[in-house]
Amino acid sequence: MSSEPILRVKDLTIDLLTAHTVVRPVDGVAYELSRRETLAIVGESGSGKTVTCFAPLGLMPVGVQADISGSILFDSRQLVGSDNETLRSLRGKSIGFIFQDPMSALNPARRVGRQIAEVAELHLGMTARAAETRALELIKMVGMSDPEIRLKQYPHELSGGLRQRVMIAIAIAAEPTLLVADEPTTALDVTVQAQILRLLKEIQSRMDMAMILITHDMGVVAGAADRVMVMYAGRHVETGPTERVLSQPQHPYTMGLIDAIPRKQDAIGSRFRGLPGIPPILGAPITGCAFMARCGYAVDACGERRPPFLPTAVPGVSAACPVLNIRAKECA
Amino acid sequence: MQPVRPLLKAIGAFPRSAVFTIGAFVLLGLLAPYIAPHDPNAQDLLIAGQGPTLAHPFGVDHLGRDTLSRLIVAARTSLVGVCLVLVCAHAIGIAIGTIAGYRRGWTDELLMRIVDVGQAIPSLIVSLAVIGIAGVSYWNMILALALAWWPGSARISRAVAVNTMNKPHMEALRVLGASPVRIYFVHLLPTTIGAVLVYATADAGAVALAIATLSFLGLGIQPPTPEWGQMLVDALPYLESDPRQVILPGLTLTLAVIGFNILGEAVALNRVPKPLTSRMLAARRRVTAFWAKEARP
Amino acid sequence: MSAILEVEHLVTSFPSAKRGQTIKAVNDVSIHLNQGEIVGLVGESGCGKSTLGRSIVGLEKPQSGRVVFDGVDLGSLSGRRLREARRAVQYVFQDPYASLNDRQTVGEAINEALIIAGLRSQTEREGRIAELLNQVGLATTVRDRFTRELSGGQRQRIAIARSLAVEPRVLICDEPVSALDLSIRAQVMNLFLDLREKLGVSCLFIAHDLALVRQAASRVYVMYLGKVVESGSSEEVYRNPSHPYTQLLLASVPEADPATERRRNPPLITGEIPSPTNPPSGCFFRTRCPLSVEACAEAEPVSQEVSSMHKAACRFAGGLFAKRVSAA
Repeated sequence: MSSEPILRVKDLTIDLLTAHTVVRPVDGVAYELSRRETLAIVGESGSGKTVTCFAPLGLMPVGVQADISGSILFDSRQLVGSDNETLRSLRGKSIGFIFQDPMSALNPARRVGRQIAEVAELHLGMTARAAETRALELIKMVGMSDPEIRLKQYPHELSGGLRQRVMIAIAIAAEPTLLVADEPTTALDVTVQAQILRLLKEIQSRMDMAMILITHDMGVVAGAADRVMVMYAGRHVETGPTERVLSQPQHPYTMGLIDAIPRKQDAIGSRFRGLPGIPPILGAPITGCAFMARCGYAVDACGERRPPFLPTAVPGVSAACPVLNIRAKECA
Repeated sequence: MQPVRPLLKAIGAFPRSAVFTIGAFVLLGLLAPYIAPHDPNAQDLLIAGQGPTLAHPFGVDHLGRDTLSRLIVAARTSLVGVCLVLVCAHAIGIAIGTIAGYRRGWTDELLMRIVDVGQAIPSLIVSLAVIGIAGVSYWNMILALALAWWPGSARISRAVAVNTMNKPHMEALRVLGASPVRIYFVHLLPTTIGAVLVYATADAGAVALAIATLSFLGLGIQPPTPEWGQMLVDALPYLESDPRQVILPGLTLTLAVIGFNILGEAVALNRVPKPLTSRMLAARRRVTAFWAKEARP
Repeated sequence: MSAILEVEHLVTSFPSAKRGQTIKAVNDVSIHLNQGEIVGLVGESGCGKSTLGRSIVGLEKPQSGRVVFDGVDLGSLSGRRLREARRAVQYVFQDPYASLNDRQTVGEAINEALIIAGLRSQTEREGRIAELLNQVGLATTVRDRFTRELSGGQRQRIAIARSLAVEPRVLICDEPVSALDLSIRAQVMNLFLDLREKLGVSCLFIAHDLALVRQAASRVYVMYLGKVVESGSSEEVYRNPSHPYTQLLLASVPEADPATERRRNPPLITGEIPSPTNPPSGCFFRTRCPLSVEACAEAEPVSQEVSSMHKAACRFAGGLFAKRVSAA
């Protein structure tokens, strides 16, 4: 990945303000992403993995105000503080989105062909006729059988896997440079999941896209991502190349997550490994390390201030853990 | 006084216009006998048809009865009528709807076909038919309107009941072996009543209008009981010579109906997230400003 | 070991959107559950595994077949007797947010279950609530909290405690951890292992997560389009899957280890599950099966014994299978 990063996020902090509460789901997150690279953002519900990607692009529910600070450079354009007009022109054009539940992301009352063509008309300035041709091309590209028939169908006539293929076709219609996929296979069956992941990788290399894969499934990460960012309580706790993070996790939380995956060697009827305690409830930022309460290695210093994010002994892997960083310093 | 605060808060969440109109309507209705300045039925033919004076701020009607007092007492008539009709209609509707939603199968089919028939005939025609058969009286009017109104309530109740029965927490009760009596009376009925009462407020305006309509036609509330529709009929012969007598009851009725409709609409839209006001936003930002200081190392 | 729960030739169908047609969600399924055993039931969405579970506890009405609990055919009972007999088989729902009433406190929810179970004395119930909360690993202080204030993992524990209030002997667990966060799944899974050990409760564990089932269950049933296609001990089925569907299903699960995952080139199942309204003739899996031959379309495959207790409903199961694969 020698090329210049296409996406550079620094110190991204997002506060969500509603009529009832205020929470900070993203707290000082930083990462980079190059062309053709896939970054997996891994975390549990409430870790901020979705908000990190969606709020800066103006994708927020009605009645929620997102206060964003920090910096997001996308294609050397600053997204933080951009007006809605700029963000709207980026969404769907330079940045494509795939959602977890394709049924609610598609318009149930319109034919899928029309929905794909619409994106081409809007962002590529195509005529209706040219857009229809483009839609057919895209349907073929996402590997749907009987493309002409599919174009004329409504979303409810398709199975979950086919709907997700339509979502992908819409997302790539304007040839985006970045594809954000939020749990693209979570709602799908394992046999279909394999097909969709393969398709995503294929399209990515064909279109030279960068991809952010938001997921909680380490199996998906292992198969599809070049780099991983693990998030906990709105903070990135570990980043690095997939093969190193998954085989030599450094942060205790990552260790716990990976250790919790049942393995083939585990005896039948043996106890499950997991983390003690429960994830923190979103709210005010936590003083010190957010994982401290559940961590087996915690020392008093962990609770004093937020651990800095530093390189570890494993090349390319950085983590935010005071205990680990002490060890890293000793090694060096 | 613990429950008062959330109640006030809930009322405060509704549009002010509706709260004022309906609040005034309910207060006038409840306190009518105490605040009406004159006996609404006291005739004084000497001043018949007189316009507003100090003694009679809204003037008097063709029999010299005080218009303001009649309007106020009519609010009571209307309020009591609306409540009775809604209680009767929803009692029938909720009973039938929950039974259909609980039993499903052929019971459901049968009851809902009856509801379909009920809904197919316009409510006014049902009321007219019932009064035509039963004769003109106050209670017959209430009965007639209740019979016209229950199918709508039954349909909503059934939808709520079916939805509730399919909820996993209700299924869990069935698996635990809860008796049908427990499931129906302890869980299904209270949930349905709560949900359907919300719809009832939206209907109140229409019922008020229907009472006035029947009274206007001479089939509802009989003279001399003051009632807005009744007052309209009384004043009709003087429409050209003294429009005030028609306009005042008409205006009051319109206000009450609009008030109920706004309230009903607000109740229906209650689930939509409220937009952030700038004041709230500022308050939330004060919180986050404090966070920022703490979090940055 | 004697079977505590037997399901024999169960058929559950639903009316289809098109008039007159029915969807056989569960199509002639026979399974059994032994005392104190955890048995897995796996398959993709729409394979009928949840409908099977719901039919066992009476949430769906089967068209035919029998559910026998402890030697008693539940179909022969009705009314109060049926409710009391069914109480011994409890159901754990997937979504702990929906399976508890938001307006009840934890104590009220469990108390209600105890009342249903016929425990009359309030003091006894109080004691039992504390005991149950303790059993599922929760502090007794949660008793006065509203269920809506608790996290998913805690709510699932409370749902389990409520089921335990009626002293069941079998738990039908329908994806009990799939709505929970990764880091807490193990806690709830271990709770099931504990309950089996301490209370001797048997579990039918319905899940799509194959790895989870492998570790928890001693035996496993694999379902496809309303039918059991393979059954056997977990050991056997996972090591030597004998139905092509089971093989492809197992091969589709991604590995969390990037080195193996990259090297692995899983054979993809082509296409999607056919509509259950109009299933293929003969073997239901033949439309997606890499091994299918003409004969598969003609007759339904007979269940073949691969080894003792390990059966697969495929003509190539057992010895023939290996030959067929090497030829393909």
